[in-house]
Amino acid sequence: MQSQVSIAATPRTASISVGLQLAAALVLGLVILYGEGFLSSPIVHNAAHDTRHSQGFPCH
Amino acid sequence: MIFRRIVLSALLVGALSGLLLSAIEFWRVIPIIHAAERFEDALAARMADAARGTKQEHGAADHVHAEGTAPPGGENGHSASEWQPAEGAERIGYTLLANFLTATGFALLTLVAMVAALKRNPAATLDWRYGLLWGAAGYAIFFVAPALGLPPEIPGAADSPLGARQAWWWFSVACTAAGLAGAVFGKSPWRWAALGFLALPYLAGAPQLPASPFAAHLPADAAELAVLSRRFVWETAFANALYWLALGSASSWAVRRFLGEAIQREVRE
Repeated sequence: MQSQVSIAATPRTASISVGLQLAAALVLGLVILYGEGFLSSPIVHNAAHDTRHSQGFPCH
Repeated sequence: MIFRRIVLSALLVGALSGLLLSAIEFWRVIPIIHAAERFEDALAARMADAARGTKQEHGAADHVHAEGTAPPGGENGHSASEWQPAEGAERIGYTLLANFLTATGFALLTLVAMVAALKRNPAATLDWRYGLLWGAAGYAIFFVAPALGLPPEIPGAADSPLGARQAWWWFSVACTAAGLAGAVFGKSPWRWAALGFLALPYLAGAPQLPASPFAAHLPADAAELAVLSRRFVWETAFANALYWLALGSASSWAVRRFLGEAIQREVRE
């Protein structure tokens, strides 16, 4: 007896709309900027200190 | 998949423009930060001396262990107990990394906006002028608009509470982005009215400190810090202008090179 397994080979990625992908990239960019410029953790602050000052992010 | 192409393009654009920004910063901007930190350290040391003096007046026996301990705030006004990069290569390395990450974040936003605009108007020519215009918009939104209310500051400057300034920073960025986008991409004949958004952050008013930011320093130091802080505003304005123009141009190149076909394919489907 042979069991047949049908594999639906439709790639999921194709079904994600362009708008959704753009939104995901936008959120990723905002998260990076928030971590880099606004996170109040002292360690992150000290590491990114000169960048925050130079790019006009509120610091201290 | 467009998402993957955007992220990879952003990493490339971020590396290029982040390196350019770092080069200008190490040349023109960071020397001012170092100069200001010398005054900041002097102030911290004087405050610590003053604190020790007060303690000795009020019965030194209770505070024997206070002698020789680090002042609250520590070096550079940062908590001394927290890790901070060592001066020299380590600090430079972290600044390079932070510049690369920030540039990648800004590149993601720029690329998303460019692709969205291209979806609406596929006939747009992605030449160097297109990239420079996007770069100028990014500079206006993320540097000029916040800096008009909260000019970039040198270390050692006192200021209003951080949370309020950060919230106002985002508010000014959002208003400027909405105003420019409405005026440029709006369809209504009244779209120019969207430019009214540009004034909103200043009508609301940025958080301000009533006193001089250098009031705690010695008068001679405060005068020098005021000169440094004016220089700092102009040098950061220059550095960030070049950085954003480079970021915009590199982004439009990346859209043309890596995203153009993918957009056309996905929009047609």
